[in-house]
Amino acid sequence: MQLSDHDLGLLDGVGGDAARQAMEALVQLGEAYDAPDMVEIGYAHIHAGMALYKGDVELIEATAQGGAKMVVPTSTNITNADMGDWQGTGAPDTLGLLQKRAEAAHRAMGSGTSFTCTPYWAGHWPTWNMHIASIESGVTVFANSVLGARSNRDGFFAVYAGMTGRYPRFGLHLDRNRQPTHRVTVTAHPMGTAEFTALGYAIGLTVGSGVPLVTGLQTRPSLDELDAMGVGMATSGGVAMFIVPGVTPPFNEDADVPGLTEVEVGEADLAQIFDGFCTGDETGFDLVHLGCPHASFEEMKQYAALLSGRRIAEGVELWVTTSRAVRQMAREAGLLAPIMASGARVVTDTCPISCHFACTCSPDPALGVKPPSLRTILVDSAKQAHYVRDMIQCPTLFTTSELAVESAVAGRFLPRNRRNA
Amino acid sequence: MPEGVWQARGVVGGQAEGAALVSRTALSFLGDLDICSGVVVGRSSDLLGACVTGRVLVLPASRGSAGAWRFLFQLKVHDSHPAALVLKELPDPSVTQGAILSGVPMVVEPEAEFWEDLRDGDLLQVDGTIGRIARRNAE
Repeated sequence: MQLSDHDLGLLDGVGGDAARQAMEALVQLGEAYDAPDMVEIGYAHIHAGMALYKGDVELIEATAQGGAKMVVPTSTNITNADMGDWQGTGAPDTLGLLQKRAEAAHRAMGSGTSFTCTPYWAGHWPTWNMHIASIESGVTVFANSVLGARSNRDGFFAVYAGMTGRYPRFGLHLDRNRQPTHRVTVTAHPMGTAEFTALGYAIGLTVGSGVPLVTGLQTRPSLDELDAMGVGMATSGGVAMFIVPGVTPPFNEDADVPGLTEVEVGEADLAQIFDGFCTGDETGFDLVHLGCPHASFEEMKQYAALLSGRRIAEGVELWVTTSRAVRQMAREAGLLAPIMASGARVVTDTCPISCHFACTCSPDPALGVKPPSLRTILVDSAKQAHYVRDMIQCPTLFTTSELAVESAVAGRFLPRNRRNA
Repeated sequence: MPEGVWQARGVVGGQAEGAALVSRTALSFLGDLDICSGVVVGRSSDLLGACVTGRVLVLPASRGSAGAWRFLFQLKVHDSHPAALVLKELPDPSVTQGAILSGVPMVVEPEAEFWEDLRDGDLLQVDGTIGRIARRNAE
């Protein structure tokens, strides 16, 4: 690899021991992928430290204690507990307090403590051609496809990128990989975030880790819908970038090139995704969940309107999950009161699949964490449905946001209407 | 079993040795493995019920979540990790980052003969620094 004087200085320890170790790891990664050199990154979305995984919060603490400082704007990913009210979700004090140690470690390193899978709604908005590093696949796909920034599907090394401001030039940091591999013609007419997660999920099943060029959408999707489509693809496939001509910078109608693999996604494909995630008892659900990925302010407005003057049925819980920053904005806007008056709970920093409900984690036995026994979780997101199945290992019901609220009020599942079957 | 040496692309440095555990299906480190025991629990894997601990895990591909790194690291924390990884192609960066963080040597793109000659249980030495896989005679 061609390393700059700055890179070599970091390897020599001029930035301290923590930065030296981070740089060594980044060089190792770059050599593995034949990167010619390092790029300068402008932002990193990094691992928070997860209290349900043995030794994981300690890993972040050790990084902070080793003298690590973030040298670019940095946000932190979702965690395993609501650090302001873990009791409200039924998590033991041991778990909540361990999770808060990660918060302290990040403050010491200068990370923006957003603790969310949607840091863009919390104000982290990288722009066209900015190289970034991201641990969250949903952030990766949103940054590449909506903002025009450049990101791979990273793991822990996003922390190293944040500490050094450097990242090896490979994958989606290179122009040649930011080209379509499939042409997806959408004949369905999705509306709202739930349907867009299903559309993305259907696309990801077909294109795997390709770069789909998505055509046929009748109108320009909203930011929330683009977000929803991206997380769907990143869940069922390994998609890190999609291209919607006229939306994804810098692609316009000329993004279409000959020789792409053709895919068509129609209403029947969407219906199959919804039906496939309806495995639970239609009158026996314990929990209704809104906000996967973490809700935007616009979504909080929508949920407040849907829940205003309503009352959640006896025996059902409704969780709205979002980031701390968006919750604060919602509070200032008077949106929390109508949500909470309905009996719903606003949860931050975590979500059902990220909290102690998951049974695929490895909590230290000393924490005394025991996943509750849940009959069915009703969701409005294909991503949440996928991981409820795989990580909570509990049946699901999947419908639109509007019908999820109606179901929570009625205590009875209301499936999605098929609009254009 | 005859001795053999195959060239591969070294991705994560270091040397390790173990009995081959050979899969023909893609594995998701998030969801397909029980962290504490190293046992494969994913129903879509042909390794269902096998234990990866101490083995040279040979996979056609990895699949699934970018959380893969965390699960590889968790296998290391619980001392249930594979000795080394051999993959047909370069995986998601997250998998590589997990292998580096866990100190698990990894090679990819072994020469074609490797896939023809290899048998489950073969005692393999993997050198991720120079990019080489060697089979030893069982003693």
